[in-house]
Amino acid sequence: MFFHLTEESVPEPNTNQMTTPRPTVGQALDGLFDPRTIAVVGASRTKGKLGQAVLALLKSNGYSGRIIPVNPSGGEIEGLPAVRSLDEIDSPIDVVVLATPVGVALDALETCTRLDVKVVVGVTSGFSEAGEDGHENEERLRRIMQDAPFRLVGPNCEGVVRPASDLQLTFSPMFNDLRPGPVAMISQSGALAGLMALRLGERGVGINAIVSSGNETDLTAADLLDYLGNDPQTRVVLCYVEELRDGRRFAEAAQRLTRAGKHVVAVKGGRSRAGSRAVQSHTGAMAGDDRVISAVFRETGVIRARESVAAVDAVTALAAGRRPAGNRVGIISVTGGLGVEMTDLAESAGFEVPVLDETTQTALSRYVPFFGSVTNPVDLTGVVLANPTYVGRCLEAVTADPGVDIAIAIITFVPDQQFIEALAEAFDNTDKPILIVWTGSARSNASGEALRERAVPVYDSPARAASGLAALAVATGEVA
Amino acid sequence: MTQRETLENWQRAGRTVIHEADAKDLLQRIGIPVPRRDPDHGRCVAKLCHDDYPHKSDHGLVRLGLSPDEAKQAAAEMAERFAGGTALIEEMEEGSVAEWIIGCKRDDTFGPIVLAGPGGILVELIDAAEIRLAPATPQAAEAMVRSGPGARLLTGLRGAEPADKGALADLISRISVFFAENADLISEIEINPVMVRADGKGLVAADALIVLSSNADEQEKLT
Repeated sequence: MFFHLTEESVPEPNTNQMTTPRPTVGQALDGLFDPRTIAVVGASRTKGKLGQAVLALLKSNGYSGRIIPVNPSGGEIEGLPAVRSLDEIDSPIDVVVLATPVGVALDALETCTRLDVKVVVGVTSGFSEAGEDGHENEERLRRIMQDAPFRLVGPNCEGVVRPASDLQLTFSPMFNDLRPGPVAMISQSGALAGLMALRLGERGVGINAIVSSGNETDLTAADLLDYLGNDPQTRVVLCYVEELRDGRRFAEAAQRLTRAGKHVVAVKGGRSRAGSRAVQSHTGAMAGDDRVISAVFRETGVIRARESVAAVDAVTALAAGRRPAGNRVGIISVTGGLGVEMTDLAESAGFEVPVLDETTQTALSRYVPFFGSVTNPVDLTGVVLANPTYVGRCLEAVTADPGVDIAIAIITFVPDQQFIEALAEAFDNTDKPILIVWTGSARSNASGEALRERAVPVYDSPARAASGLAALAVATGEVA
Repeated sequence: MTQRETLENWQRAGRTVIHEADAKDLLQRIGIPVPRRDPDHGRCVAKLCHDDYPHKSDHGLVRLGLSPDEAKQAAAEMAERFAGGTALIEEMEEGSVAEWIIGCKRDDTFGPIVLAGPGGILVELIDAAEIRLAPATPQAAEAMVRSGPGARLLTGLRGAEPADKGALADLISRISVFFAENADLISEIEINPVMVRADGKGLVAADALIVLSSNADEQEKLT
């Protein structure tokens, strides 16, 4: 509906096609993340087809809205009545997923222009990413999108995940079993989104939403950053980008979020298109792509991670939502060697590992034998394994030290379930950030649940914990 | 004529590289100090400015430490060798404590940016420039002269006099605003070096270069 309040000439709505205006980014994404109706084009009974996987994952993850499989043979798919074509759906559709070969997908996209659709998620490939071979498809895609009354995620993407809505619009099982939480993820690569999601999930880090943005023909990383970052549920946005189409808007959106106290962690993969202009000045040579990216990220408060695993390490620490008051680290370890390595890494990252307060040392000496150490790093020695609660008490003593801003507990294997629960309790009893280095193999199984449900940052090595540490203390800068 | 009209005139005349003399005229109009021209006493610099030869020293088009008369003679000789050039005789700046490079360009990803760092021959030696989005606010420009390894040079190493950081920050902010407002017409601006004097004594732009966007398609892409 258009209201013309002035006499000025206003462009006529496009009457030959539709009267529905194009939804704003906000309207489209509201529909995408909390959809009542989803149509899956390419839904199939044949295992191995994308559409089969999308439908199966959507169902098995407990999505409770209406799912409409679209398949030319109709009938019933995964126990749901299928329509032969999108045309047969006469009610509004929040999300249409395109999971077919490219020709069929484009036909369906064209059909969507005549229907009441908010957003289309294009899992289908074969567009600009295919170079010359995808050129014609890309042209047709752009023609359709020109006045389309809906928005598009992708194409060539792995889909969208929103644990709080039991929404799993993807063919990839890498996003299974995520819990709702404070991290939003935007990734131009679907596979990297999967890698990062799986690792965050293993650590119990909660996910607000994940969008694999693919080719970004319509909705871009900047649109998604602005929307997801402003969601009150989001505390940290993790971005994997290869080419920022609207880099300026991305930077401005990131700056607004970081100024509001949220965090943006970004991995920039690949290189930008080579500048087409000949470089006439020193400035051109000195301000190369990579230096500019680092500089702009630093200026706007974006934490730049070198690669995806370092980014996950940074996000793990930030997602816990505790900010350190300073850069003094207290380290306790069941072994001397790992304590030394952690100390070296912390110090070379600009942290202090100060001698602990005398009260703290006295408290620790009740548990630590004479061949251990109660200074810092604290070497609890293996004796501490004898009583499952000792490690927790030692951690509490260190976090209570007025000269400690961040505590790190290093453990190897877990002698007893109570051992982990004692650490979790120590985490509950302080507001200071705690990082745990757990080198043993049981991290991801049941014994770690007490830590996962609290989203305690757990790392498998001191170096990985150091990436988390760096992200915690410096709001900006590079994470190694 | 506004500065923008000057840029448009240059572009219409088919110029891409704007030589030092013209670039400095324009920079002076946006409040950037340049050396005094045609002095009648003191040590002088004679240059021949030509759009086709932006790297003057490579072509022997810069002569330093001349008397006013020697400078006139040198300028006349150079003008004879390079037709179409503009002779420039300026007072030689000898009171500076630091040489800085200030540059602006359009980045493919983020659009207009501004760069500032140790200039002159240090440009070749170290990679210490600070980069920010343009326009840089006065606060951002302040941060640029106080951050990075170059900041120590401005503070004065080993008892050297501290440089006029305030004047440098003002120049950075000023040029970044001008560039950002005209980034559809300009592809790069560079002042190298800016001769920064001791604190409170200001600075002068000793050399400058403006590169215009030559390509109409490129301008369309920006809008």
